[in-house]
Amino acid sequence: MASKKLSLQSAIMISLAGGLIALSLFFPWWGMHFIAPQYPEGLDIVVYPNKLAGDIDIINGLNHYIGMKPFSEKSFPELAYLPYVICAMSIFTFVVAWMRKKSWLYVLIAIFVFAGLLGLYDIHRWLVDFGTNLDNNAPIKIQPFVPPIWGENRIANFVTNSYFSTGAYMIGVSFLLMLFPLWKERKK
Amino acid sequence: MKKKVVSAISGLAVGILASTVFFGNFSTEQTQSTAAAKTNAEKVYVPFGEKDEYYLFASGGHSGQMFIYGVPSMRRIRTVPVFSLDSATGYGWDKHTKEMLGGYTWGDLHHPAFSETNGEYDGKYMFATDVANSRAAVMDLKTFTVKDIINVPNTSGPHCAAFVTENTEYLFLPTRFSVPLGNKYESLDDYSEKYRGVMSAVTFDEKKQKLSIAYQVALPPWSYDLSDAGKKISKDWAVITTYNTEEATTNLEINASKEDRDFIVLFNWKELEKMVKEGKYDNVDGQKMIFPEKHKGAIYLVPVAKSPHGVDVTPDGKRFIASGKLAPALTVFSFEKAFKAIENKDFVGERNGIPILRYESVMEREVNPENALGPLHTQFDDKGMAYTTMFISSEIVKWDPNTGEVLDRVPVQYSPGHAVAAEGDTVSPDGKYLVSLNKLAKDSYLSVGPSHPESMQLIDISGEKMEVIQSAPVDPEPHYGQMIKADKIKTIEVYEKDEKNPNAVYNQKDARIVRKGNEVHVYGIAMRSKFIFDAKAKRPDVIEVNEGDKVVIHLTNIDLDEDITHGFAINKYDINIEVQPGQTNTVEFVADKPGTYPLYCTNFCSALHQEMTGYLLVKPKQ
Repeated sequence: MASKKLSLQSAIMISLAGGLIALSLFFPWWGMHFIAPQYPEGLDIVVYPNKLAGDIDIINGLNHYIGMKPFSEKSFPELAYLPYVICAMSIFTFVVAWMRKKSWLYVLIAIFVFAGLLGLYDIHRWLVDFGTNLDNNAPIKIQPFVPPIWGENRIANFVTNSYFSTGAYMIGVSFLLMLFPLWKERKK
Repeated sequence: MKKKVVSAISGLAVGILASTVFFGNFSTEQTQSTAAAKTNAEKVYVPFGEKDEYYLFASGGHSGQMFIYGVPSMRRIRTVPVFSLDSATGYGWDKHTKEMLGGYTWGDLHHPAFSETNGEYDGKYMFATDVANSRAAVMDLKTFTVKDIINVPNTSGPHCAAFVTENTEYLFLPTRFSVPLGNKYESLDDYSEKYRGVMSAVTFDEKKQKLSIAYQVALPPWSYDLSDAGKKISKDWAVITTYNTEEATTNLEINASKEDRDFIVLFNWKELEKMVKEGKYDNVDGQKMIFPEKHKGAIYLVPVAKSPHGVDVTPDGKRFIASGKLAPALTVFSFEKAFKAIENKDFVGERNGIPILRYESVMEREVNPENALGPLHTQFDDKGMAYTTMFISSEIVKWDPNTGEVLDRVPVQYSPGHAVAAEGDTVSPDGKYLVSLNKLAKDSYLSVGPSHPESMQLIDISGEKMEVIQSAPVDPEPHYGQMIKADKIKTIEVYEKDEKNPNAVYNQKDARIVRKGNEVHVYGIAMRSKFIFDAKAKRPDVIEVNEGDKVVIHLTNIDLDEDITHGFAINKYDINIEVQPGQTNTVEFVADKPGTYPLYCTNFCSALHQEMTGYLLVKPKQ
């Protein structure tokens, strides 16, 4: 029974998941949008699996007033290896699709859930680090803060909005695609 | 199992919904109500968040500056220094602008001209001339800053400029004052023999952003007043007005008004270009000088009512309009008739070796609006209708150059010199707006004492009848302007990093002070809200030098953020420069005064701008 292969349909769905995971490399995963009276058009931090984009220099320049450490691609070692992790995940997903074995699929889903939670924890960890380790010498003293991973927050004259972006949604959809075979191959 | 399907589908739906919320564009185009229903107040009101439809570049006359206005609001947006010092922008203190000004502290900015492509404004550059010190300048419209100023030798006071040819091949600078070649001393008794009204042909190298003189033409010793380049069929030609063909040397008011006719100089710049290529010129003070009496075939004279001011080519390029400024009549001349007269050698004589065309052979019609006096300058609308300023009768007259019919007249307050219509001197004027540049404001505005502002009046020319809809005071003194559709100008907000610039510092840790003998070179940064001149020093915002040192400060504004401009001033050292976002600017001086001099950011930059200070310490000689 265990040796019974997953259907072709399921294999295609899992392959699609693998494709989406690979594709997500080229899209932003997460971001934060800052709005202030002087910046009605907003400032952005946009996080890709391998790089930061947006108005990093300007945000760093402003953050020094509250004593926040400047951040750059160098401050996040994840950006160096995350692409490899994602590639490996994608390849492994394709392997599972090729094998068409339910047991392998369970392993894939387990790794996926684990990695996802780890990722969320990692973002949170950095938010805590940057929001709470503020320099005491800063011209403006504010209470340490932890911006949420998702949603709105207010710091001084800025309203920030954290959000998941295209890449993260692709990962979400690929997860749904992985779950599809579980429903499709259910015992009738 | 059904449940799972539902949850899977709803999960997808949530994802799609969420991405739509984040990435979808729900903004809708606002529809405008019809212009016909608008009151004058509504026509000129530009609410916050909206922008004006046109840029108006008004020449600043003897302020040496260019004034930038928005139309239709008539709000002054900016003053751009060109020929004069301007401490608001540090213009004339930093190395580049100081060298450009060449020791002059002021200029008299006359007629501005946009660069053109196929006879249309291309929104890339603005040219202007200085009547006071014989200079020409070019402004880059990406940054609204002057890139180059050129001194024009052998001439004095290019009032008659600037005008550009259809594809900005040349910027011609005819002169108001005639002087001896090389500005040498010559007795005024020898005026007719020794003096010349030299016209310069200036070219602009866009890559190097440099102006240079291609050649000059030694026109007769007359005064050259205004000019225009031909368009379309007349694109190889240009026309300029003259006065004082009497060659008077004193009391010009009387003596230059004696003859009934002066001339329009009609010349073919392609022919002049050919002469230069063929070596038909003399070398005068390093310039290629064409003497028209020696090399014929490019320049002709057309008689015109005495003491004309403007001469303006119609948008179709077929006619040019000029009028004596003391006369009531406007004269329409035909390029086609002029070309025929040249072909037939229909000359009535010569002046200084230049053939004079028969007036009747070139003139198409004279237009004489009743009681109108002092026609100065003409602009055009989208239908080819002409709008002429009447200085003496203080009005704008709208008329049809094809028939001579006067269509409308509107009084303006008071005494308009020039007028500027929306793209009104191009091959395709926009109509819509005309601004009358009035020389007298009298009691139009709250009094500020005996010295008055000038006045600009916005006239709606979209209908059959002109309507004055707004009035704005302006500093002395707009002579002419240029009005360009706002979307043609593409500005930058922040200077891009130039990693090849040896003077630039983009990382605050790289800020340093380097001593070379008795020269001190500072490679510093400005950022909200501090200066860093030497990142490793105990006090990074202090420059310490010895009395007599030459100090060179390179300052980079590393706030690459819109509208975060920093200033840099040193107390009592008469130094103030501007560093725009991302820009690296340099100032040089000799620290000849020992003592302690605070330095600070002059351009308000941030909440802690007041703290953006430091010191220049000059150690006295032992």
